[in-house]
Amino acid sequence: MKITDVICPFCGCLCDDLTVTIENNRVTGVDNGCALAEAKFMHTGRLNNPIIKDGDRFRETGYDDAIGAAADILKDSERPLLFGWSGTQGEAQCSGVHLCELLGGVIDNTSSICHGPSILAIQEVGHPGCTLGQVKNRADLIIYWGCNPVEGHPRHMSRYTNYADGFFLENAFRERKLIVADVRKTESANLADEFIQIKPGGDYAVFSALRAIIRGKGDILPDYVAGVAKSQLERVAKMCLEAKFGAIFFGLGLTMTKNKYKNIRNAIELTDLLCRHTKFTITPMRGHWNVYGSNEVMTWLTGYPYGVDFSRGIAFYNPGETTAIDILAKKECDAMFVVASDPAAHMPKKCAEHMAEIPVIQIDPHINCTTLLSDVQLPVAVTGIETPGTAYRMDGIPLRTKKVIETVYPNDTEIIDKIYKKVLEVQKK
Amino acid sequence: MSELLVKNAFVIDPLNNINGEIMDIAVKDGKIVESVKDTSNTIDAKGNLTLPGGVDSHTHICGTKVNFGRYMSPEDMRAGRGRAQKYMYPVSGYSVPTVYANTYRYSSLGYTTVLEGAMAPLEARHTHEEFSYNTLQDTMANTLFDGNWAVMEAVAENDLKKVAAIVGWTLAAVKGFAVKITNPGGTEMWGWGKDVGCMHTKVDHFGVTAAEITDYLIRANELLNLPHSAHLHNNNLGKPGNYKCTLERMQRTPDLNDKRQTLYMTHVQFHSYGGSKWADFCSKADDVAWMINRKPQIAIDMGQVMFGKTTTMTADGPMEFNLYRLYNNKWSNHDVELETGSGIIPVLYSKKNLVNSIMWSIGLELALMTKNPWQCMLATDNPNGAPFVKYPEVIALLMSSKYRDEEFSTLQKDTEKRVILPSLDREMDWNEIAIMTRAAQAKALGIVDLGKGHLGVGADADIAIYPVKTGDIDPTQEYEKVIEGLSVTTHTIKRGRTVSKDGNCLVFGDNATIWVKPKISENYDISKDPEFIKRFERYYTVNMANYPVEEEYINRNICIETETEL
Amino acid sequence: MKTVRLKRKDIKNPYLPVEAEKITTETFLNNDISEIRIWSGNQEKILEDLFTVDTEGEADTAEDVHIILSGDCSKVKRVGEYMTAGRITVEGDIGMHCGNFMSGGLIEIKGNADSWLGREMRGGEIICRGNAALYCGSGYRGEKKGMRGGLIHIEGDAGDFLGETLWGGKIIVDGNAGNMPGAEMQGGEIIIGKDAEIPGANMKDGVCIICGTAFDILPTFMLEDGKKNIDDFKTGFFEFSGDHANRKPKGRIYAKDYRIHQ
Repeated sequence: MKITDVICPFCGCLCDDLTVTIENNRVTGVDNGCALAEAKFMHTGRLNNPIIKDGDRFRETGYDDAIGAAADILKDSERPLLFGWSGTQGEAQCSGVHLCELLGGVIDNTSSICHGPSILAIQEVGHPGCTLGQVKNRADLIIYWGCNPVEGHPRHMSRYTNYADGFFLENAFRERKLIVADVRKTESANLADEFIQIKPGGDYAVFSALRAIIRGKGDILPDYVAGVAKSQLERVAKMCLEAKFGAIFFGLGLTMTKNKYKNIRNAIELTDLLCRHTKFTITPMRGHWNVYGSNEVMTWLTGYPYGVDFSRGIAFYNPGETTAIDILAKKECDAMFVVASDPAAHMPKKCAEHMAEIPVIQIDPHINCTTLLSDVQLPVAVTGIETPGTAYRMDGIPLRTKKVIETVYPNDTEIIDKIYKKVLEVQKK
Repeated sequence: MSELLVKNAFVIDPLNNINGEIMDIAVKDGKIVESVKDTSNTIDAKGNLTLPGGVDSHTHICGTKVNFGRYMSPEDMRAGRGRAQKYMYPVSGYSVPTVYANTYRYSSLGYTTVLEGAMAPLEARHTHEEFSYNTLQDTMANTLFDGNWAVMEAVAENDLKKVAAIVGWTLAAVKGFAVKITNPGGTEMWGWGKDVGCMHTKVDHFGVTAAEITDYLIRANELLNLPHSAHLHNNNLGKPGNYKCTLERMQRTPDLNDKRQTLYMTHVQFHSYGGSKWADFCSKADDVAWMINRKPQIAIDMGQVMFGKTTTMTADGPMEFNLYRLYNNKWSNHDVELETGSGIIPVLYSKKNLVNSIMWSIGLELALMTKNPWQCMLATDNPNGAPFVKYPEVIALLMSSKYRDEEFSTLQKDTEKRVILPSLDREMDWNEIAIMTRAAQAKALGIVDLGKGHLGVGADADIAIYPVKTGDIDPTQEYEKVIEGLSVTTHTIKRGRTVSKDGNCLVFGDNATIWVKPKISENYDISKDPEFIKRFERYYTVNMANYPVEEEYINRNICIETETEL
Repeated sequence: MKTVRLKRKDIKNPYLPVEAEKITTETFLNNDISEIRIWSGNQEKILEDLFTVDTEGEADTAEDVHIILSGDCSKVKRVGEYMTAGRITVEGDIGMHCGNFMSGGLIEIKGNADSWLGREMRGGEIICRGNAALYCGSGYRGEKKGMRGGLIHIEGDAGDFLGETLWGGKIIVDGNAGNMPGAEMQGGEIIIGKDAEIPGANMKDGVCIICGTAFDILPTFMLEDGKKNIDDFKTGFFEFSGDHANRKPKGRIYAKDYRIHQ
């Protein structure tokens, strides 16, 4: 059996044109998807039953027992940290926010280790953006800065930028120019018309220089800025000004390198400036398929996109203080609730060390690094394959991921709601 | 508790011609009935002013651009925070509150039905997700068609029925309620960083003008027999001299409907500007009102500006960019492929600023000079003009010439040379205010038959009781009491349940989303049209199968099916 | 003069943050301390649960109140928030957000201060004998205007983003500042005793003085001719105008020595 128009729950591209082949309730083929999509849809290993740590081993148990154990850990916690969220459905994210309010804890999503800095910059200067179809249909200049779509978002260029059909572009591929800026020559850079190689940590200075050139003050600049020749910068500025529609895409090369969110701020200010001459937009290359969703959900419920502290019964937002890495590194939290992410694998050692010292509850279908540090883990259905749910693409478009195979597992929302009810019950006693 | 009796209510119900009578209101199973047997559940309204639940016909509370406004403004979020109560979640936000904050605050004001001002069809799912958390008011969404490629191509082909087919299919697919047009043609031009100057500029590539797009959408709306008329945010918003565009648009609009207006023009204050540049900027509200008074086919809302900080957010991308260039604070933009656009910037309206002082005056002038209150509804284009929590202050200004004079004397001193507000003596009465805040909206939106906006037998039991004894207050003098009395209801009742009491919400709420599904025959089913399908395959970045909003997103919903001419 | 001595009691979990916005001079004007609320994680406590309280003397105004904090206060946040007058002395280290929104009075920290010291300050004086962490004298996310007035003096080093979005007032650091001091500043004055990196990024106005070496001066800063003398300082500072990525910037950086961003 083939199911069409399937939405891929892997990266921020959220491609919705996949066709999956189902045989005996298993995905045996994926058409149109990239290698990452195939890997996700066809993966079979998982944690079969809830587990609870018993001494130095795990014992398998039932859901009620595991939910009870989770509630017991959370009810007395004085500073619980609820982390993850980007790999699950929006409905579960909403439940998570309510659970955090009930517990008086801190809720943070993976933005804080990914595009959180982009959000900080947007909060300072705004976000001149658009949906990906605007880029596809109009853009004649594409700029990838500090990201490598060929490897990180494999279908980005064929679905949304250089290789995509464009309504206003006769011969889309030939009419578009590509600029790639990075510290090293990546696969994406190999495709560029203009590759800007920047010394590590030099992106901020390059953006400042470009802004000065566009303001006609290029004379004050030295011959080289962060390893980039002024002549190249002038050429790039000219390409931008002559473009009818320029689209900038950026990734962790800007968010997680020196000067962090200031790099993004500078890129946005450059985009603003270009908007006074022509049409330009800027879009962060969101990594997870539903990390933007966790920002959207947290914002409409709490007012803030990530790092929200409810310990005072009121939302308080201060990245650097209310974000997961800081809280773990400073050993502030006394319990952790992880949903749809693997912090033990991705976070600095200091954070994992603290996770080892506190009770950790994980909601995840798979055995991962965080499992080793968990006290309770509840496996759930995989959203987008075994259970449907809402997701937000990197440009803010909401889509409903599908269920393509049957499962016995409950989904994240059901489990979190049950934990919520159980906590209410045990808190009353 | 399916029965409720509200006793001793001082009722003003314009749709039923009740203008201040003490009466009892009987409620059973969420509807108003003649009488109830069980009187154990009684609310004594003690002679307080009792109105049908408020209906807001244009407010920005849910959806992509509203959420953009929230997350780019943590400083606005922290300014409006509140703690959880028994049935209230913690809230955040001053001018762009979170969904819970909005629903609680609207409920305190006595509002029970709201229309989200703008929803892009491609992002409708987001609006519906937020709607499901706006639990204390029934919700509906204005659906944007101003930059819709399929519509523009059909207009270029002079194919009215095709326009209607596209609109009909889209509304049903995304569970929208009404046809919204924001800067028609301009939002498409903004895809290239341009705008349309006036109504007669041809949109690049598509070759149709703003005037034509609107003309066709107005007529298509009527072909589809939709409850509400086409809802227009005209071109050239905010530009000195734009009143001419407004007048021309009104002139061009035929009278096609005998139950309601044929065109609803929104936040007309922003479109009533005279002069040719900021230096000679002035009010032309009198000319605009003159036209409205002669055109029963036009209804407007004020779009009143109030002083202080707020956030502007509209689908009018180019306008927001130009506003950004004036304010130089921060700017967000979000163009939606094949459909529309949006822009968001925080602003500050200041009394020391001549232009802002004139804007403040214009909104009031429009309301005072429009003879028929059914044609001029109260709104601030929340939050563009001001957050909706300021509605009681707007009401007080309309009811008291003394309050207006006092405020006026604190404005920038040259304002009086540019506006005529000080010469207007009219003071609205309670009945007119009731019209402007619920009855007129229900009629304009075409939801009176659904049971909104009135308290007659058969209506939804959506009732607002205010701590105001109209006999004890002289609204022309005691405007502070008006503001105080209208700011927090003693009881807001929704579908027969008291949901809010003295500002505290008592239940988690269970709203309904109202949407339309025009009945279209096979011949006009646009989803079978190869050109339409091709547009999805090649130019949208979402497949057609994934475009319609699934039923799961609207739990409790009221679907209005309409008989169309297709 | 009323002196209030607060000594941190033995702590079960030394890493759990404490929010103590009530520890400010105005709070102690009346004598009822049993009502003073303080938060430990998500638990509401009263002051005496976490501190031993010892008061001596009388005061009619906040001006005459002197609070002395001792014990491990490194996790105690928001001390001195909205303070208008009086004195607070911290014997050791202090937690985040000390002196938030302060408009008058004096806070003296004998140890180190955690991040966001003097955030959105309007007036008054803060002196930190040790080091200050990140965002000293800065604003809040999304606000254009940060610190507007007052004086912050750090005798040790300061962390990154010192005085971000500074609009008024003065910040003096005797040691080094970290990365991007004075970013987005539009007024006020920052004086750094030793070195700093990427000073005045995107500044539009205001003055940033570096008495050591200014590293990585951005390419959009213009070196003015000659060397300048500045007021009470020693002579011979290089002068830069900028940040010329902006339209008409009026910002100035003065550096004893500098390195251009490579």
